[in-house]
Parts: sequence; structure tokens; C-alpha cells
Amino acid sequence: MDCKAASELLPLYFDGELDRATGREFEAHLDECADCRAALIELDALRHTLRKDAPRFSAPDALRARIEKEAAAAASHQAPRTQRPWLAMAASWVLAFVAGGATLAAWNHGTSPADGQSQLTRDLFASHWRALAATSPIDVVSTDQHTVKPWFAGKIATAPVVEDFATEGYALIGGRIDYAGSERIPVLVYRHGKHVIDVFVLPTTMGTGAPESIQMQGYVLEAATLGGQPAAIVSDMDQAELARFRNLLSTSK
Amino acid sequence: MMSTSSRAFVDDLALSHLDAAYNLGRWLLGSEQDAADAVHDAYVRAARSSETYAGGNARAWWLAIVRNCCLARLALRNKEKRNVAIDDNPVAAEHWMPRAEADEIEERLDSSRRRQMITVHLRNLPEHFREVLILREIEELSYREIADVLQTPIGTVMSRLARGRALLQKALTDNGTMEIPHGL
Repeated sequence: MDCKAASELLPLYFDGELDRATGREFEAHLDECADCRAALIELDALRHTLRKDAPRFSAPDALRARIEKEAAAAASHQAPRTQRPWLAMAASWVLAFVAGGATLAAWNHGTSPADGQSQLTRDLFASHWRALAATSPIDVVSTDQHTVKPWFAGKIATAPVVEDFATEGYALIGGRIDYAGSERIPVLVYRHGKHVIDVFVLPTTMGTGAPESIQMQGYVLEAATLGGQPAAIVSDMDQAELARFRNLLSTSK
Repeated sequence: MMSTSSRAFVDDLALSHLDAAYNLGRWLLGSEQDAADAVHDAYVRAARSSETYAGGNARAWWLAIVRNCCLARLALRNKEKRNVAIDDNPVAAEHWMPRAEADEIEERLDSSRRRQMITVHLRNLPEHFREVLILREIEELSYREIADVLQTPIGTVMSRLARGRALLQKALTDNGTMEIPHGL
């Protein structure tokens, strides 16, 4: 790598935007070139100065309070119209607890089954929201099932069935790995219109514990099967779309 | 009509990235009141148009709305010719600085002077350069995210960032504010 090429790559290297291979080539050049080293040190000094001395302003409490108040007002405004989902949610929790008590021996690690189950529910919702808030909800970006499956195979004991349903309107966009409790589980990420859909593929021991259907803050978690394995879908799609997607999953091999 | 879910999503999003939104607004508009109002506008707009969120990076989508609201306010300000930058002079700038916590008086004076100078130099940069520097160095957004916020190609982000860094570096060096590089 010559100095001209290196100086173009320098900011990208500094900002962590170079791929690993090019990064290594750049570093090889850096070892030999004092000018590029000096330029890099200058960038670092500038960043250091900015982070240390440029004020970062926090939102005033009054602004936060104002927005929180409007958010709460909007939520309560919606309540009358969405009473049925609320009832359904309450009912599904009751059912989930009852069902949990009946079938959940496998989860029972020192807590009551219901606790274990609601913990799983919380983990799955949290994973979905965290992914939505992150830079990207996926670790491996691919619309190709033949890329996604081997990617999982290298990282967890059993790779899940991966199938693309793009022709049906549910496009595979990639996958990631997340935790439910201390278990690493594969997550397949699909998109339907504007909705991001997470499919959590659960170990058999956990699957029996997944609640049938639970809503939380407008998101729905629904139990499903994927190639015979228990799974859970989390998304903000409406019931009909969700049901259709659930059927597609259950037919995949 | 907006669904409950997308509204709840916008509420969560706005509240969890409120500091970033306000910081950006503050650096673009320079005034506490304007920044708070712009962020509030952005929240109302985001809640109303939650359908325009097409997946992808939610934080960048939110900050893009905040930025648009700030630019709208700037345009209005210029139109009304009330273009009085409130915090432009160094004394006023110092006024809105966080308190220095250095114990030594001398050190405190020094650090307050440094903060004052860097603030002034940043404020003096053209807006296009200032905003990429804030987003990259202070909010730590990736190139992709910045491109989403500014609705420009990544190449533009890279060139503005390079130019902005060079300008700020020069201003600080000329001024003697730049710290001696501490080495890598």
C-alpha cells in the first residue's frame, strides 16, 4: 500500500469503518510510515479534545417531562379503543401462568414455573427491542438461507431450519444470536413490509414453556414451530399476518 | 390511523435518545429554548408520521427528524431576520458550560478556558461540518447512521468529516488550544 492510498483510508481506519483485511494492510503500511502515524495521532488528539472539552448537553428535565406526559396521554387516549387487546393480554397472562404450572417442569430451576416462563417472555421481548434499537438487528446480513444456516452452524450446537419466504411477502434478512436465560439461541430475522419479525428458535426443553400468545407494548409474542422445533415469533404485525407467517414456518422443513 | 404499537415505539425511541436529540439541537441552534422546542416539534412529528419509519436504524430515523426540525427553525430565524445568535460571544458561551470539577483553581481556569475555546471554534464552523463532527465524535454514530441522519451519501459524510476535522484542527492549533498529542 502506498502513502496516497493509505492517507485516503486513514480516517476510515480511525473511525473503525475498514474491513479487517484492509485494516491489516493499512497497519502494515503504518508500521513503516511515520507521516501516517503522525496523522493518525493528530486525529486521535482532536477526538480526545472534543470528547473531553466540548460540552455534551443533556436534555433538560422540563423537556423530558413534557414528552413523557404527552406519551402517557397518548397511551391512555388509545386505551378505550384498544380495550379488547388489553383484556386479551390479561387473559393470556392468566392462561400462560396456568399452562406454565401444568407443563413447565423443564424450566424449573429453583424458581416457580410461572417465574421461569415470564422470564423467558421478558428475555425474548427485550431481545427484540434491543435489536430494533441497535445499529442493525442482525449479525449476519443475508437474504440467502444458504449463508445464514452455516453461519449459525459455526456458533451454536444445532443450526435451525432456515427458509426464505420472500415470495410469500416475508423476506429473510438475516440472523443473530441472543440469550434466553443463559442459553445461546439462534434468532432468524424476517421483514414483512415495515415490520421486523424475530423468530427465536428454542431448545426443546424451553419450547414447551413458551406461552401461546402474549402482547406487550404493542408487540406480540407467539409460540410457533419451525421444522418440528419449538420457536417463538416476536413482532408488531397484526394477528392475521402473524397467523399466516406462523403457518409458513410450521410447514418449513 | 396510527397503530398503538408504532406510537409506543416512537415514544420509547424518543425518550431513550432524548439527550442525543437535544445535544444535536443545541449545537445546531445554539440556544436552550430553541433546542428544546425543536426536539419537541420532532417528537410530535415522529409520533404523527410513525408510518414513514421503514425499518432500519431507528436512532438515525429519529435524529433525522430532529435535524429537519432544527433546520426548519434555522430557516425561520433567518427569514425573520432575528438572526441573533444567543451564545455567540465567549462570555455567554461559558455561561452554558457544565461546571468544571477540577480542584485547583488554576486548573479550573485553564479547563474552563479550553472548554470555552473549543465551544467557540465548534460554533464558528459552518453548520454542515459542525453537525458531522458532533454526530461522529460526540454521539459516536457510524458513517452509515450519519448518512441516514443527513440523508446524504456516505461519500458526502466522509468528505464533510474530513473537511470539518481539518478546519477545527487548524483553528485549534492556530489558537494553541490543541492538546499535545498523547501518543497512541
